[in-house]
Amino acid sequence: MSNIQLKAPLTINWAINNNCNFACSHCYSREDTHDDLSRDVLLACLEKVAKAGVFSINFGGGEPLLRSDLLEISAFSSSLGLKVSMNSNGWFIDENMAVSLKKAGFTKVGISIDSHIPEVHDKFRGVPGSHARALAALMHLKAAGINTSISTVICRINSETIDELVAMALAAGVSQLNFHNFKCSGLGMSNKDELDLTPDEWKVFYKDAIAAKHSVKDLDISLDDPIIALLDARDAGTLVKGSVCGKLSLNIKANGDMTPCGFIPIVIGNIVSDDLQQVWKDSDILDRMRNKQPTGKCSGCSKYEDCLGGCTARALALTGDMNNPDPHCWGSETKGE
Amino acid sequence: MPKIMHNPDVLWRRETEVTDPVSDDETVAGILFSGGSMLSLNEFALEIWQICDGKTLEELVVSLMPEFDIDEETLRLDIREFLDSLSQKGFIRYE
Ligand code: SF4
Repeated sequence: MSNIQLKAPLTINWAINNNCNFACSHCYSREDTHDDLSRDVLLACLEKVAKAGVFSINFGGGEPLLRSDLLEISAFSSSLGLKVSMNSNGWFIDENMAVSLKKAGFTKVGISIDSHIPEVHDKFRGVPGSHARALAALMHLKAAGINTSISTVICRINSETIDELVAMALAAGVSQLNFHNFKCSGLGMSNKDELDLTPDEWKVFYKDAIAAKHSVKDLDISLDDPIIALLDARDAGTLVKGSVCGKLSLNIKANGDMTPCGFIPIVIGNIVSDDLQQVWKDSDILDRMRNKQPTGKCSGCSKYEDCLGGCTARALALTGDMNNPDPHCWGSETKGE
Repeated sequence: MPKIMHNPDVLWRRETEVTDPVSDDETVAGILFSGGSMLSLNEFALEIWQICDGKTLEELVVSLMPEFDIDEETLRLDIREFLDSLSQKGFIRYE
């Protein structure tokens, strides 16, 4: 299963715009200044993607709700048989909008929340009142019958508050709490020293997060970081080894540029002019991501088969070589031990 | 005899073209995907997936028998084994 080469991605993370009403310190897309695709071009691209066999689209941005045609784009996507979800900061989702999103085919909406403490979240996002609006958005979405999740990028302001984040997620009635690893792209890179944890701190965080994952019922705590293989915590059901980027999923930017994931700034084609299946099959970069080679401490690590050197985006951003060990990795497990 | 029902949340697609040369057992002809699980299917399994919705095991045996050069009992066991794996992953249920 891990080695099958699919004819097209299963899912696409699609940043349909770059503009945002927030100013987050870890934003990976704020520095992106290309023009967004027009409505007509975007709809034609969605048709292309559905034809290629893609199952689902997760819209992101920027803040996707700042596109006035978002509902139309979503309704069109679901009419093509695509499963539609999005990540939003929640600011614009009131009761009416939640109902409209449901009608437009959204099956799942994830809201980004960085801290259980309103003041901390608001300061981090640069907008007073944003925490309260994010929680209200979750309530409206749930009432409208949309599956909800909370996404939290783990960094220095929240890594020691797992229990509190879990309690907030349970109170908000979400089905999933996503702990995203800190990727060091865009502003995340500029603010890395202030925000990122040390490898040993990552170890402590993941130990605690895994314990919470096992003990908390009624909430799916999702950890998308391959280095948790070091703690023997990769789910048996994990679909592929290492990162999913370029194996199951692909990223499309607001101007149509395709990149392996939102955190790897290497353009491998453009959805307007290129054939998705062709790019997916022939891209050298994707090929290298699918066939990583162990270097340094990964070469002797017994977890390599599961971990594949960890997060490719992070290794590339911080070391310049995607095959290098993930800089968050706190150790290595010697083969044969 | 219970009827097999697709889980409506399962997404599936063909990975090879129908016109591709007949594949061997190992070739991934299609995939099923639902939430966190994925299953790759060879041509035989993909065909069962495509026709099983609303049918009983016996009906599947009857419709597939003419296509395969094996005895009925072996075919029944093969189909059942595949249906068991589908049901374990929640891709089908019995009604
Ligand atoms: S040494 Fe490499 S393979 Fe081993 S856990 Fe660390 S990043 Fe993963």
